Amino acid sequence: MRETDSPLFSRSLVCLVSAVALLSVSIGGSPVGVTAQTAEADVPDLVGVWNGGGRVRPVNGPNMPWTSDNFPMLNGRGVAFQGVFDEAIAPKYDCVPSSLPALPYDPYFMEVVQWPDRVMFRYEKDDVLRSVWLDGREPPLNEYTVQGFSVGHYEGDALVVETTQFVFDITGFDDYNGIPSSQLKKVTERYWREGEELRMTLTVEDPLFLREPASYTTRWLPAPEGYKLNTYECDAEDARRAVKYMIPKYR
Amino acid sequence: MKLLFWISSVAAVVVMGLVVTGFPAEAHHSSAPFYDDAQEVEVVGTVTGFNFRNPHSFLYIEGENDDGEMVEWEVELGAAVSMSRRGWTRETIKAGDPIRVVGNPSRAPGTHGLCCAELTQPDGSPIQLVRVGNDEVPLRLVAVIRTTAEE
Repeated sequence: MRETDSPLFSRSLVCLVSAVALLSVSIGGSPVGVTAQTAEADVPDLVGVWNGGGRVRPVNGPNMPWTSDNFPMLNGRGVAFQGVFDEAIAPKYDCVPSSLPALPYDPYFMEVVQWPDRVMFRYEKDDVLRSVWLDGREPPLNEYTVQGFSVGHYEGDALVVETTQFVFDITGFDDYNGIPSSQLKKVTERYWREGEELRMTLTVEDPLFLREPASYTTRWLPAPEGYKLNTYECDAEDARRAVKYMIPKYR
Repeated sequence: MKLLFWISSVAAVVVMGLVVTGFPAEAHHSSAPFYDDAQEVEVVGTVTGFNFRNPHSFLYIEGENDDGEMVEWEVELGAAVSMSRRGWTRETIKAGDPIRVVGNPSRAPGTHGLCCAELTQPDGSPIQLVRVGNDEVPLRLVAVIRTTAEE
């Protein structure tokens, strides 16, 4: 039997190789795993499943979260568009998902997941998944989507998310007021923890329809222990079912 | 001591009992363009179907209209994902169940929609108690209140 066939020798060799590998990682700079751990230690802990339901904050509606105090100042184009808007053709009645600035205030649960290069927001409402990129990437040219393109960075104890590249959306402001949003829409969200609460201030800009930026602040509470988000699976027939109950705006 | 605990528990259930109520405006649309909240309609009939879905569930009831004719009423309820947190399942109400619904009627002439409805047994007694805290409570003892809470 050769010496190298000895189990003891093999184990020793494995240990030696592992030790050398670890040493080289420590000396050699910042491989991905080490960088990620360092970053995780520095970032605020927003991870978890969060309750944004009606017992945590007032349920959304025509005057919530946009009240008389923070309701957006529409420009002439916005007022005109709002005037001709017909609720019956709102995309939500075809299961098009809610988007910013309305989505975070929808009275459902959401989950925040932290990865080294991104934060993911998963919403129970409409099964929406948003990725917020932390790696400095630029928005792709001419790529516009319902949820836009989100990049983020940390400022002290807050995560700041900036989202652009939205499609033109005839109800892109909220579900209630018939206010559109354009490709110029920019939404900034600032998330931070206050005790067990998750808080957020959202600011929306859209010079095509708004005279000035508009903001609201809201909160979430931790979901019950072990709660898992339900799937939404919007049913297209049920989404449109009640539309027949409206008096038509145009005949 | 056990008896006292039991009585206390039942009292808590009565106080905290959840509602069997329809929630039309669960972040999807306002009820105002669809339903007239200045009017209220009472329908007593039999359940013919229950779609427990998102973004809105619908309950179908065979009952009389204003002219005494039998029609199918379509009762708009909340999103299944929200109702399930209050203990609802697709089995909560079944075809053939007798039911009484009081709600706002749909606006378009000739339609038979209802929303924002309170659902009870035909005699006004509760259908069931759905959940208290994390526990499903199999009692048929519940206060009926109107609320706009989502959960």
